[in-house]
Amino acid sequence: MRDRHLKYALLLPAFLIVMVTTFYPLAYSFATSFREWKLARQREPQGFVGFDNYTRAFTDEHFLGSLQTTAIFVVSSVVATVFLSVLLALLLRRTGSLHTFTRIIIILPFAMSPALIGVSYRFMFNPEFGVLAKGIGAVAPALKDIAWLADPSYAMVVLVLTDVWHWTPYMTFMCMGGLAAVPRATEEAALIDGASNMRAFIDIVLPQMRNVILVVAVLKTIFALKMFDQVVTLTGGGPGRSTETLAYFVFNAGFKWFDMGYASALAYFLTAIMMVVSIWYVRLLLQDRKMATA
Amino acid sequence: MKVSFGVAVAFGLAANAAFAGTLSDGKPHNGASLKVLAVKSSQFEAHEARLADFTNRTGIKVSYTYIPFPNMREALTAEMIGGTGDYDVVTIMDQWVAGMEMLVSPINDGISKHKIDLANYPKAHLEQGRIKGNLVGLPVRGHVQLLFYRADLLKKNSLQPPTTWPQVVSVSKTLAEKENIAGIALPYGKLSGQNLMVWYNLLWGRGGALFDAKGKPAFNTEAGIAATQEYIGFLNKEKITPAGAAGFVEQDAVNSFKQGNSAMLPVWWWVRSQLTDAKQSKLTEDQVGFAPLPSYDGKGSTTYTNTWIFGVNDKSKKKAAAMEFLSWLTDPSLEKDVLLDPKQNEVVAVQFSNLRDAEVNKRWGGMHAAAAKALETAPPMVYGEDWPQVAEVLENMMSSLASGAKTDVKSTLDAAAAEISKFRK
Repeated sequence: MRDRHLKYALLLPAFLIVMVTTFYPLAYSFATSFREWKLARQREPQGFVGFDNYTRAFTDEHFLGSLQTTAIFVVSSVVATVFLSVLLALLLRRTGSLHTFTRIIIILPFAMSPALIGVSYRFMFNPEFGVLAKGIGAVAPALKDIAWLADPSYAMVVLVLTDVWHWTPYMTFMCMGGLAAVPRATEEAALIDGASNMRAFIDIVLPQMRNVILVVAVLKTIFALKMFDQVVTLTGGGPGRSTETLAYFVFNAGFKWFDMGYASALAYFLTAIMMVVSIWYVRLLLQDRKMATA
Repeated sequence: MKVSFGVAVAFGLAANAAFAGTLSDGKPHNGASLKVLAVKSSQFEAHEARLADFTNRTGIKVSYTYIPFPNMREALTAEMIGGTGDYDVVTIMDQWVAGMEMLVSPINDGISKHKIDLANYPKAHLEQGRIKGNLVGLPVRGHVQLLFYRADLLKKNSLQPPTTWPQVVSVSKTLAEKENIAGIALPYGKLSGQNLMVWYNLLWGRGGALFDAKGKPAFNTEAGIAATQEYIGFLNKEKITPAGAAGFVEQDAVNSFKQGNSAMLPVWWWVRSQLTDAKQSKLTEDQVGFAPLPSYDGKGSTTYTNTWIFGVNDKSKKKAAAMEFLSWLTDPSLEKDVLLDPKQNEVVAVQFSNLRDAEVNKRWGGMHAAAAKALETAPPMVYGEDWPQVAEVLENMMSSLASGAKTDVKSTLDAAAAEISKFRK
């Protein structure tokens, strides 16, 4: 009996911290999303406005535009990151001092702050003195005079590039973990039987990495949906609104326009999208386990 | 009798050791303590270093809390929403003032009591402290734009610094041809409305305005369309800007000038010290000249301004003592003392008496006289509570035109005006 009470007593501090730091802000912002609160005029949230803040979003062309931009960014970023992560994991699978060294230094981009990455890439793509802008121009003269961050399409390419550069190392390590669990014997048997490396990878390795790739894809999707830092420091959402992601749009509504009711409603759209992705992921995993135990 | 400049400065400094602000007799607030919430700035640190004078004369102790610029608006908002009166005096940037109405208290009576000379302030700075007819703060830090140019290249090619925007084009083309250098470094990219700061001057110079007397958008009139076509034309028609200027923010434009890639740069005056700093610039003192921003034939020079006001927190329990501090802080002799302090590299001045002062202009090469000239005719910007949203619409409009995502100036301006009209009440 005393043990049971002790158990709850030990859990209590963590429970309180989670309540105060997570559930209370979530509940407060949810309530705010149904109220009017213009921070420049009102110290506290005002009367309830029903679903006005939510319905307003559907008639806000810039919100819909940011949804479209976010979708383009998420798809490009997730596909590129997953592809490169699997590729790098396969390349780094071998043993040897060079591979060990590469495995160590490859994590460096992930150690950098996303805001700093944005600032650094902004310098590197400066058309006058940026090392990448000059380098690309030297290798491919057709791209020499491109002002990368001044063109809506190229700016999105650079934004995706910085995000992929940042996340690929971490996702590569996850894939390497998944790859380590794949028994080498099956693959080697297939190779002895005459299968090509590609065939062995597609038919033997890839199916066994399915769960890891799924985790990588879902996590990367969630991180990509929250893309904010590089937008601020690299493109400022521009040119025009061409790289204005949903997270950046929510920030502007809340902390630039001081429209906290609307910003809270927008934040819940973002939360809803992430919940849908998470639920889909959990269902896929559960489905997989059922199949494995059947 | 000939008095050397050094002796004159020393005499001036000694005379200013106690600042002559009109402070109350008899130390009525002796023992009071004031807290100031200020943005991080070397100018304010210089004021803080001189606080002993104020404390000696009033018995009031003052402590500063500095916040870096990127976090300042959040800090002020927290103070306003919290309503605790933790700080007695607050510094607010011009664009935020209208949205901080709940934070600050009118100081009209205090200004009269302390006989603060409002005529000594340029309107472009002073009006930034006014909400609904009441002054809620006084300017202490303010910036103007100047046209910096490559004095060596202009002299070599027998060119005069341009005084009109059409001259900017002709000078740029001559220098591009003869010196293989971009004419003028302008920022067209997105960052805190920087791509609008030169455009405002073209708009005003052509007789246009952002808003009409009723607060309705007026930048899509004929004058606004012509100004925008000209401004975008520098980039894509005249091609007098550096490569990639369509994505430049202000610092990129400054870097372009510092690296010797551009011949002219319209920018804030405080950038002056960077332009010839050997650690970051290829240029030397004799290569850089400055002039008021260009305008149009027969029109006075204009400048967009940036102003920081000091106001009294509405929730402060020591408002009279805080006003006493404002009186001391805004004394012209304090500003002059910092400007002439040889240990400081502080150019900022907001009072005409110092902008036109011979000693100040001798130390800073006449930059303040040029600023005073521009400020005499500079129209004050009117920022409403919705300014951050307005600026965002305008900034996106300019960025879209510069990037080529939109090409028709009139329809783009009309669309921006319609969008602003939707949320502007």
